[in-house]
Amino acid sequence: MAELHKEKILACVDQSPYADCIADYAAWAAQRIRAPLEFLHIIDRGELGASGEDHSGTIGIDAQEQLLKKLSSEDEVRLRAARETGRVFLSELRERAERAGAPEVDTRQRYGELVETLHEQEGGVQLVVLGRRGAAAETTQRDLGRNVERVVRALNRPILAVTDQFVEPKRAMFAFDGSAVTRRGVDMIANSALFPGLPILLLMSGKVGGDAAGKLDWARQRLQDAGYEVEARLVPGDAEAVIAATALKENIDLMIMGAFGHSPLRQLFFGSKTADLLRSSGIPTLLLR
Amino acid sequence: MLAQLQKDWLSNARNDLLAGLVVALALIPEAIAFSIIAGVDPKVGLYASFCIAVVIAVAGGRPGMISAATGAMALVMVTLVKEHGLQYLLAATILTGVLQIIAGYVSLGSLMRFVSRSVVTGFVNALAILIFMAQLPELMGVTWHVYAMTAAGLAIIYGLPYLTRAVPSPLVTIVLLTIVAIWLDLDIRRVGDMGELPDSLPVFLLPNVPLNLETLGIIFPYALTLMTVGLLESLMTATIVDDLTETKSDKNRECVGQGIANIASGFIGGMAGCAMIGQSVINVKSGGRGRLSTLAAGIFLLIMVVFLDAWVGQIPMAALVAVMIMVSIGTFNWSSIRDLRDHPRSSSVVMLATVAVTVATHDLARGVLTGVLLSGFFFAHKVGQILYVRSQADPDGRSRSYVVSGQVFFASADRFIAAFDYREVIERVRIDVSRAHFWDITAVSALDKVVLKFRREGTEVEVIGLNEASATMVDRFAVHDKDGGEDLLLGH
Repeated sequence: MAELHKEKILACVDQSPYADCIADYAAWAAQRIRAPLEFLHIIDRGELGASGEDHSGTIGIDAQEQLLKKLSSEDEVRLRAARETGRVFLSELRERAERAGAPEVDTRQRYGELVETLHEQEGGVQLVVLGRRGAAAETTQRDLGRNVERVVRALNRPILAVTDQFVEPKRAMFAFDGSAVTRRGVDMIANSALFPGLPILLLMSGKVGGDAAGKLDWARQRLQDAGYEVEARLVPGDAEAVIAATALKENIDLMIMGAFGHSPLRQLFFGSKTADLLRSSGIPTLLLR
Repeated sequence: MLAQLQKDWLSNARNDLLAGLVVALALIPEAIAFSIIAGVDPKVGLYASFCIAVVIAVAGGRPGMISAATGAMALVMVTLVKEHGLQYLLAATILTGVLQIIAGYVSLGSLMRFVSRSVVTGFVNALAILIFMAQLPELMGVTWHVYAMTAAGLAIIYGLPYLTRAVPSPLVTIVLLTIVAIWLDLDIRRVGDMGELPDSLPVFLLPNVPLNLETLGIIFPYALTLMTVGLLESLMTATIVDDLTETKSDKNRECVGQGIANIASGFIGGMAGCAMIGQSVINVKSGGRGRLSTLAAGIFLLIMVVFLDAWVGQIPMAALVAVMIMVSIGTFNWSSIRDLRDHPRSSSVVMLATVAVTVATHDLARGVLTGVLLSGFFFAHKVGQILYVRSQADPDGRSRSYVVSGQVFFASADRFIAAFDYREVIERVRIDVSRAHFWDITAVSALDKVVLKFRREGTEVEVIGLNEASATMVDRFAVHDKDGGEDLLLGH
């Protein structure tokens, strides 16, 4: 077995149908990069909710101490149960990932809030894997879980946002726009152990002008030098529509793109290209920061 | 940011609304009772409670905490109202808000760390006693009907929860006692006899006071006390809610929020208020966690009072007294009485002194100040005990080594000086202070004194091992190695 990279792959799971699939993709990546994989399950204390059947509005002797005692014992029971189910759920995922060939799997449960916790755990991580929607988005009819954008914005690592079905990636597409983020992405992929063997379709779309062709050519050259099978295409038009259509037509099963380059304020007025793309394409996407 | 807003407001919406309703029902009698304590019409306290609850829901730093017109604040304003009238109270309320906003921006909240647990306990006990004492005038010189009604009220308040916890028992008490009073047409005092009740929504108005220095001179001392008491109770309550819900709060934002709420209250004819320990406990107990619970409490309160004003006026004072006795019993820290036996005597003294001063002056700020000073005094005394000086004569009989360990500062300086034997006939003294700590200039001058006294006896002194902190103090202030130091320190 080749020596493992030090930086790990962090797979964020919650108890939603996505978990298995996150495990599969994370295991796939771990196996390719030969990096340790860690499953992170976050128990948000706040989401456990408050109980309040007592509407008597009365406070008796030592009301405060008794309430504190009651609430802490409730929390204790609840968190213990959450911890136990979380542990069982994580160990199932660990087995699944190990069966799929991940070289070294670890699990971890933490109390806290998702984005905050991820931010703390970011060090020593080279790739974050998460589902496009989680348990929080199950009840609402959102295409994109509200946590995803917050996580992507808060983290400074490449993020693989996966769908709810695992298909081993055979053909990747890079939505290249010539920006600094995607140029850095090209370098990263050229040096990465994740993609070798996958043919890559370099797609440039949107308002094509200036030195677009030159930049695209640079990217193609760079990837070819790194030993990839590359096809470069320049398709003017509405980027979102072109990317989605091409992905469908070419049987793309993994997409790579830059993410949230603009401020949240600008997004409020003009919308986010990243979020639009994530919504319109139903395939796993590697978001570059 | 959006996610935080959603979490603060909507994550617990159903429970928050229900808890808000329970709190609003409990707030009505309290707001009326506290208005009566302050000597103003019930509508002043009711408008204040509505306004403060609504504003603090948005501006406060502790979601789920209830703020409204409070007893602690009402007690402070009694003389102001008596001597200068309502308009000056409104002006003082606005000034209180301004001071609280300033306090929030200069992070005065962090001073709370000097308020020890014993002082907090003393504060709540004193508050409970004062609330109880404020009910006594309603129970003096009245017919037996009032006693009977108060007793029945207490029986319902504490008995009903054993049957059902679905309806607030204070509400049932008030409704039942009001029905009985109307039905039997009893000749007892009712809320309507105590002053004007709100019959409309509050309107914006400027306090009718001359804007000059004389006015400022009247209201400033009150505003300062109100600011202190309001922030003290609010920050204490915030800590209590933090503990109960195992979440964090933003104390400085809470100070600013209290300020904004009081300014708003002053402009719609309400009195100053702050967070309420009892109501916040009731809110958390009923499932309230988010900002929505506080907002709902304020809005439900106003709706009920404005639309039911004729009925509110019919509530017998005995029913309010029963509710307030419950609040007082629930606020008092009963375990602190049991703890008097087990806790260190100094903490008990601090607690009792806080209670005693507060009850005597009706001013929680003075009580807390007394408590804080006493705890500082006791602490200095205790730490001052940690000072040991050991000595040993060298085998040749010409010199002696002293080893000092522990804390040297104002409270232990005298003991430090007394620990040396100056009359010993000896050539040389070595003082090893490497394990001691010199905290202040009193400590440094004490060391100087020791050195000079030995020199006067013709003994050579060597000080060794001044650690870094002590060395800086000595370098900066000491005179024993400078010319004329002897005269300067010993004074002759």
